[in-house]
Amino acid sequence: MAPSEEQQQHLADKQVSAEFTSYYLQRATQEFAEDLDKVRTADDFKADNALPMLISALQQGTAMFSPEEQRRIVTAEKKSSS
Amino acid sequence: MGKRFDRGGDASGAPRKRVKVVHEAPTSEDIHTSRQLRQLLAFDQDPARSRHGLQSFKLYLEELLGATSDHDDRAKILKDYLHSETPREDEETPVYLPDVMQTWSHAGQTGNDNISSAVVVVLGLLLKVLSRSYDMIPYGLGICRTLLQKRQQELISKNLAADKGKAFVIAPTLRLLKEAVSFDGGAIARPLFRARASMLKSLARNMGIIHMGDEKEDLRRPSTRTTAISFFLSAIKYLHPDAKKELLSQRDIVSALTRDVKQDPPYLLKELLPGLKDHVLMDDKLAREAKSHLLNASTLVRLSALYQYRLDASTEDEPSIADLAHEFLLTACTNPACGVLRQDAGFYPKEADPNTVIPTVELDDLGLEAVAWMNKFKNEVPVRNYTLSNFLPNLRPWSNVKQSELMIAIFNVAPELVANYFINNKSFTFEPKLSATWIGYAAFLFRAVTLPIPENFCRAATVPELPPPTSVVIDNILPLPLNQKVLMRCLTHKSNMISFFATRILVVAIEKLDVAIKLHQDPSHSNKAIWSEAARRLVDEFCQRSPSIKEMINAYRSIPQADLLHREAASRLLRLCYEVLPQVALSAKFDVSPLLDTALGRLSKQELEDPRDFALSLKELENLLAIAGYSPGMRWFGASETTTLSPFTLLLKVCVEAPHGVSLNAIRQVLDFVATEQQVIPGKDDHPGLLPLIEALQVVNNKSSDSATRIWPFLDNCLTRCANTPVKYLEKLQELVQELPDFADENKEAVVSPIALALMEQLPFVAKNGEKAALKALGRFLPTFLGLSAAVGETRPLLSLILTNMATHLSDSKGKLGKASALEGFVFKYNVWPSTTKTFSGGKSTAAQRTQATASTSLDLTTLESMLFVPDNLEAENSALTKWASKTADELVDEGYTTSLIALLASEHISMRKEALVSILKVADKIKQSEYGEKEQVWLLLSELAETARDSITDGPLPSTIVAFASHALNIVRDPLHGLYPKVNVFLTRGPFWTLDKLPLVDDILSEEPNVGDAFYTQISWLLTYLIDGLRTTGDLELYHKKRAKGPILERILALATNPYMRLPLRTQVLRLLYRATSIEGGSTTLTTRFGIVNWLDARRSACADASEVAVYEALQRRIWETCDREKVKSWSKGGIDN
Repeated sequence: MAPSEEQQQHLADKQVSAEFTSYYLQRATQEFAEDLDKVRTADDFKADNALPMLISALQQGTAMFSPEEQRRIVTAEKKSSS
Repeated sequence: MGKRFDRGGDASGAPRKRVKVVHEAPTSEDIHTSRQLRQLLAFDQDPARSRHGLQSFKLYLEELLGATSDHDDRAKILKDYLHSETPREDEETPVYLPDVMQTWSHAGQTGNDNISSAVVVVLGLLLKVLSRSYDMIPYGLGICRTLLQKRQQELISKNLAADKGKAFVIAPTLRLLKEAVSFDGGAIARPLFRARASMLKSLARNMGIIHMGDEKEDLRRPSTRTTAISFFLSAIKYLHPDAKKELLSQRDIVSALTRDVKQDPPYLLKELLPGLKDHVLMDDKLAREAKSHLLNASTLVRLSALYQYRLDASTEDEPSIADLAHEFLLTACTNPACGVLRQDAGFYPKEADPNTVIPTVELDDLGLEAVAWMNKFKNEVPVRNYTLSNFLPNLRPWSNVKQSELMIAIFNVAPELVANYFINNKSFTFEPKLSATWIGYAAFLFRAVTLPIPENFCRAATVPELPPPTSVVIDNILPLPLNQKVLMRCLTHKSNMISFFATRILVVAIEKLDVAIKLHQDPSHSNKAIWSEAARRLVDEFCQRSPSIKEMINAYRSIPQADLLHREAASRLLRLCYEVLPQVALSAKFDVSPLLDTALGRLSKQELEDPRDFALSLKELENLLAIAGYSPGMRWFGASETTTLSPFTLLLKVCVEAPHGVSLNAIRQVLDFVATEQQVIPGKDDHPGLLPLIEALQVVNNKSSDSATRIWPFLDNCLTRCANTPVKYLEKLQELVQELPDFADENKEAVVSPIALALMEQLPFVAKNGEKAALKALGRFLPTFLGLSAAVGETRPLLSLILTNMATHLSDSKGKLGKASALEGFVFKYNVWPSTTKTFSGGKSTAAQRTQATASTSLDLTTLESMLFVPDNLEAENSALTKWASKTADELVDEGYTTSLIALLASEHISMRKEALVSILKVADKIKQSEYGEKEQVWLLLSELAETARDSITDGPLPSTIVAFASHALNIVRDPLHGLYPKVNVFLTRGPFWTLDKLPLVDDILSEEPNVGDAFYTQISWLLTYLIDGLRTTGDLELYHKKRAKGPILERILALATNPYMRLPLRTQVLRLLYRATSIEGGSTTLTTRFGIVNWLDARRSACADASEVAVYEALQRRIWETCDREKVKSWSKGGIDN
């Protein structure tokens, strides 16, 4: 049951960070889907600037997770595949 | 070109009427000889003929400029012409092209702009043509010098100052000047600048003559402004620093440079921004002061308008104008050499001296009130960076990511501006509203809060005497827009996303507050009372700006169950409140149990499909557990109203059922802590805690999760009983010992987990109730658990006895369980280090606990040796010389015969080495002739090794590094799937032999990216094994500490080990390498004096939380001390290192 050490080592830090960011964004868009829809229809939403801002705003929360915590989350696998 | 518009002198004298523009296209003819050219350009008073000549020359020059090759005969015409027009050397003021100059002069006198324009056009083109050919340079320089003569200066000045509408005169003159200033690498830039009264005449005005019209400015017909700026850029490129400084001090020019920048065509901006950056901002020789003339607040504001540049036509591959402007502004505002940024004192505003001397009596009586400036900066923060302070309000960080980045970058280098900015820009509130602007502002504030606190608050290495003004510190932790009222509204807002954003900001704010408090509590402060008072004030201020913990708890409770990210953030916020503001948090009397139950329930029900969601939920659980750790009344055992199992068992269940790869250390630590406290397991240091129980449950769960389900209620019952009445089970253990007279006589300590006895006691009730399915499951679980307990060192005879007692109730038809052998065969590897850390205090082990743990663990040198000693794999085995002969190619490579031969190259005996070399060559040949799959690579490796060894074979043993590399590389070349296969092959194809004093492949592995994306750590593992084997003699050690371009090998390896992501096995490998070095004569001394190993080990030790690993560092330090030259080390460290 111990997480495969080798497997964890194989994931380079950058990759972990990228995977975590992608997971974080995916979760955030799922959790706040309704609110995000409302923002997209707001008067001040201009796709040129507002969309990158929205993405950047959502993903900056990844900074709250230490690299080790990020690794723990992205290296979790389904039990059936172990 | 503008020359077609004639508003010549014929209109003079008459009343100003609208002059009809006559389109007089000049005539021209082809030029075939230099003589013809001379005739054409000869001075003629007839303007038509003059224009005819100049136009013909212009077309001829354009033809030369457009030509690619084979135009030598055409170019010769020009050369001959120039040669014939060259003035005599003895002339006082030699005039080149006298005829053309005379024509120009005459045109100036008669006011014929068409001819004036035509002359400067041809001169500009001519310089361009001449600058292309080395042997024509003297003519060009001559012409340039002629331009600097008084008459020509007047003409240029006149042209430049022509009416604004006469672009056809002004623009070509500017082009001519551009060619002149850059001619021959700026050869005449200096005298040209000296004549600036003429040459720079009306430059500022000309920069303002912009392109008019609806259509875009054409690259081939640039506006006067474009041409003027192009000239200006060439000038700053070639002018020397003093002249450049003078030029930049011309306010009108500098102002005109950026005034219309928003409307400039993209191609001009692509020249302007990099030009200013390279030749002003980044010019080291140019004084800061000169740069600051250019980079005043209004220039910065104008350039920042380019973030909204509308005329951009950049493709995706090239940076946009907004990108270029961003890059420029980033450099200009954050690089102190650029003249804008000034050194500030961090959180101490301009008028607050951190080292103000205040009499101790006053400080004692009045505390912080004795510091005159302490309360002065609540409404105004004077700054040193006034340019930036004026610039920042013009940015819109909420609407544009780049502008937000720029501001944060500026805040980062000038921390004094944070409080200043928010005080001066109060109008923009953070009132929650689901809009793009609010989200942009939230993102900006989040970034502002995450900015680091400046070193010692004042950006200096020395600790200041007085604390910074509390208002400034709090403005950096929770900037003014984040007040209690607004934050409360955010937390209670109906939109979850708004509450989420506010929660995240609060999380990072409390983390920053924690850092600030710790800095206030730094023991090196000379006046601790005053700093403590400041810290208390800071906490008070924070509590006044932040919402109360009750609101945070309510906000957390209202988050939907499925919103894992939001729940994690909110639980993290609560946990931080308990850790950083314990008095405030505890006053809320928050009962975490129901929330813990819910979280445990969600995790144990396995509702989460994605294992990453599970891991994220686990983070939330960890936060709640940490909070539970702070709640003295937490009931771990006993089911609540909503759940059937106790929190402890639920936590155990989560651990057992967690997806693969999820790290459970934090949770297991909590479980172990609680279990030891409640005496469910033995509290011995070398006992692995609950691991045997968890492992046994996992074994059952992996076979059938249904079986595991049957076990949980029974186990929960036993755990609760055991925790409630531990003494009862300890007594039972003693009773059991008495049943084994042999064991009781030996007076040995009996170690059995009390939970095992509880299980034994309760089993009959399950049997009595006839729960067959449960009994079947227990029949699998109990023997496994007891077997694993025996494997980790619990008293085997007692465990056997317990199993025998249990067997009567389990379905044991074959009578296996009653036998003594039932507990045999269990092997349980759980941790290389003897684990002793069983501390748990809200998830963080305190320093005191860590010290305690350290004190209780120490390793003797024999244990250290068993951990770190690696046998010498290169030890010569002489029989290898004969053994190989009868083997096949496969056996030679795969079964180690070749490796043994290679090792002999490091033998002490010359004859052995010589024989080994011959044998290696023979083996290489044999393999090449064979059908072996990787024969080519193996042959190449062996041949290169032989070639490397050949010359030095008689001198002494081959360096162990080379031998170790060859042996380990052999394992790679025979396995194309190995991650290092490409690198080794690239290395082999680099050359026929290797340099003896270099360590092959070390650079490639340490400095380059791995060929196979994620194989970095595997490669490091291979490298360390090879480096350990390669370190055997003092000669080898020299290679490890030899100076190299990227530093000595050993130094790089030590640096590598500080990588926080490197796992324990690799860290151990590094320690093994060090251990190997200590076994070599002088090794420990070298490690100490050359590599500061004592400090390194200290640093590693303090960075390490695991007491057992700390013990290894300590033991290694002792070993180094014992094996080094103590006298030398003592004198080297001037007595600093002494046992």
